[in-house]
Amino acid sequence: MTARGTPSRFLQSVLHNGVGRYVCQLKRISLVFSKKGQGSVGVRDFIEEGVVDFAKNNPGTVVYISPQSCGIPKIVAEYLNGKVQEETLTNKTSQQITELITKLSNQSGLDIIRIRKPFHTDSPSIQGQWHPFTNRTPSIDPVGPQAK
Amino acid sequence: MSSYSRSAQQWATFARSWFLIDARLQPPGKIATMCSVRLQGKHKPIYHPLSDIGDHVVVMNTKHIAFSGNKWEQKVYSSHTGYPGGFKQLTAAQMHKKDTTAVLPEDILKNLTEELPQPREIPRKLSEYTQEERNAFPMLWTPPEDFRMK
Repeated sequence: MTARGTPSRFLQSVLHNGVGRYVCQLKRISLVFSKKGQGSVGVRDFIEEGVVDFAKNNPGTVVYISPQSCGIPKIVAEYLNGKVQEETLTNKTSQQITELITKLSNQSGLDIIRIRKPFHTDSPSIQGQWHPFTNRTPSIDPVGPQAK
Repeated sequence: MSSYSRSAQQWATFARSWFLIDARLQPPGKIATMCSVRLQGKHKPIYHPLSDIGDHVVVMNTKHIAFSGNKWEQKVYSSHTGYPGGFKQLTAAQMHKKDTTAVLPEDILKNLTEELPQPREIPRKLSEYTQEERNAFPMLWTPPEDFRMK
């Protein structure tokens, strides 16, 4: 679809994150996998090796591991502004899952749609935005033929 | 002005002004360029061809507009209606006679924000000079009392 048909948003951060302290926007990560399934091999490897390091490196994120009898393993990421993102992990290697999970932890919960401008400022004008009376010499005399 | 809310600042920046220009004894071409600049919005730093930011211009005393040279007799306004035999040509004098303007209505008078300076300096008539200025004007020679000019 065209840019006009798809939704778009302006560049922003959730509650000016980063101006003061930086708060990791990823709230919760749930790994759903099966103990015996073929597609969950990578997930199981990741749980053996990488997940504990990830949890230690991101103290603000809660990690849930839930083995279920499911056809497709997936990862559910929940963010502080309420966004829920699901990714499937069938036949992914442990390396790919590590990359995916770091990507999810670096995201904020804002929608992944077209960003209209790659810049944003809260103070667009320093000297004051122009208005019709900026450079007009002030005068008290009335304007018009009655002044003549 | 920076303490204004965003909507108020937007309203102030994109406001449309009303200008007044007195066309008495002025060349119409210069008046027209001044008007066109302001009607397009080119006098504003926020100009963009796609945005509607032109201002209004009220031109008064157009009856006393002043062409220079012999343009009143020589300048021709031509137009064609599209139909055969529809080529019309009018000299500037005839064109001027056709158009008459009325008194400025009150609501427009109240809305005017600025009067534009006239492009041409109006020369003064002899009766408008003071006696001191007339005496102080340099003269090449003074004719004697009984001098008669042919």
